[in-house]
Amino acid sequence: MAFDPLLLRPLFPILAQSAYDHPLTYLDNAATTQKPLPVLDAIQDYYRHFNANVHRGAHFLSDRATNRFEQARDTVARFINAPEQSHVIWTKGATEAINVVAYGLEHILEKGDEILITSLEHHANLVPWQQLAFRTGARLRIVPLTSNGEWEPEFSHYFTDRTRIFAATQVSNAIGASTPLKTMIDLAKQQGAFTLVDGAQAVAHYPVDVQALGCDFYVFSGHKMYGPTGIGVLYGKNHALEILMPYQTGGEMVRHVSYQATEFNVLPYRLEAGTPHIEGVIGLAAACDFLNAQDRLALLAWEQSLANHVYTRLHKAGGIEIYSPEKNTTLVSLSVPNIHILDINAYLDSQGVAVRAGSHCAHPLMAQLGVAGTLRASFACYNTMEEANRFCDVLLDAIDLLNDE
Amino acid sequence: MTDTIHLKAQLQACRSKEDTFKTLVTLSKTLPRLSAEEKIEDNKVKGCESAVWLIIEENHGLHHFKADSDAKLMRGVLVAILSLVEGKTLADIQQMDLKAELAELNLSSYLTSSRTNGVLAILEKIQVPKQ
Ligand SMILES: Cc1ncc(COP(=O)(O)O)c(C=O)c1O
Repeated sequence: MAFDPLLLRPLFPILAQSAYDHPLTYLDNAATTQKPLPVLDAIQDYYRHFNANVHRGAHFLSDRATNRFEQARDTVARFINAPEQSHVIWTKGATEAINVVAYGLEHILEKGDEILITSLEHHANLVPWQQLAFRTGARLRIVPLTSNGEWEPEFSHYFTDRTRIFAATQVSNAIGASTPLKTMIDLAKQQGAFTLVDGAQAVAHYPVDVQALGCDFYVFSGHKMYGPTGIGVLYGKNHALEILMPYQTGGEMVRHVSYQATEFNVLPYRLEAGTPHIEGVIGLAAACDFLNAQDRLALLAWEQSLANHVYTRLHKAGGIEIYSPEKNTTLVSLSVPNIHILDINAYLDSQGVAVRAGSHCAHPLMAQLGVAGTLRASFACYNTMEEANRFCDVLLDAIDLLNDE
Repeated sequence: MTDTIHLKAQLQACRSKEDTFKTLVTLSKTLPRLSAEEKIEDNKVKGCESAVWLIIEENHGLHHFKADSDAKLMRGVLVAILSLVEGKTLADIQQMDLKAELAELNLSSYLTSSRTNGVLAILEKIQVPKQ
């Protein structure tokens, strides 16, 4: 294997610690990744050298801060191949970005219109649409998985002339499966629907090209791609962003205000009310630079090889239900019949292995899988094969300890 | 049921998270399981990620407890909690600092307000049963 994760480890000092006297094995990367030194340094550097509010004061520091802030927009635009930097809107994260769209499109919906999502959605890409449907009388429809976790071979009939919005995740956070996005987006577009892609679980792993995807909106969170928390992105095509009613109003997003009326600012500012999360923006750009400096496909191949290795070992061991695909995924989601995932999680934790046990903010998907939750090990570029094996070893020990004779 | 002094000694002797884990697994085996008829929605403690059922009965002013969970460690924790309060009057129970007592048993990591367990909700139901 050409890629060596050990070369990246020095950039992530947080990983070099022990947890309860065991080496910390961090496999909860789908929840949030660790941050490399260049991201930490960029945030420090901002506060040490050019902290000022942006787009406001005309003074030395404010100019520097504003320049770096707008450069960051350019960096992120190029990171996802957006054609213009004004198509990149800063949000708190993927959740807020989806809410901006769900509120912003309310005025185009009529009773009987359809909002279409898939059964792989995180609550963040489900609840805002459900609530929008409640408010407008639109219908929320779901492209389902079959009982063995595959897409129905014939899903095109879910896309109808009433479909106004189609929103889908690129990669499932709960089980790691991908959606046939391009096909679905094309079907939605044939019906004239707006399309939104939830890229929260994709950006850290896959090079993203929003123009090739052809979606109207693409959203993601910085903290899942080695960037800081509290910052995320709403990308939109120009006409799609223009049609959004601002979800929040206030300073920064206006051009002129009187007591009688307000003239809104142009994009991207029109959708960014208030002082933005400047350090988050600076840190996110540093995370993009960090990823751009890597061989992205080599990282992806490595992460997938770790997940595939775990899949293969656990499949061979037997007695474990695995919900993730065997290949082309960077996480493994599983349960063990008759043993509670929280009990397994507690043992993993006692050995310094951090994973996630729960419903992964996807109650309907868990209901369809027939489980209350799963245990998920999710990989990032800095994880080693030793860590993947350690997870398997400790998991199998836990099963032994918890099995009722 | 394991007697309280022995249980205390066992838990206090734990030197690591792993020890506590193993001790709780052992303790869990001493908890009498509830029947299906007892595991009803009304008896469920809300706010726990694992399912927890708690039944409180009063007899001549003394409170008696039965509990169960679908997670093994939680059953171990329940054994520890119930050993502190079993057979006492409500007034006595309300005077106890149950959190502190559990912390003394090396169980403080079960007392976080994290969503992954609902020990605080269980203590609440024990100390303020009418809610
Ligand atoms: C697929 C998916 N969508 C959306 C989100 C929401 O992201 P955030 O909580 O950062 O807004 C997550 C986070 O877990 C996710 O995995």
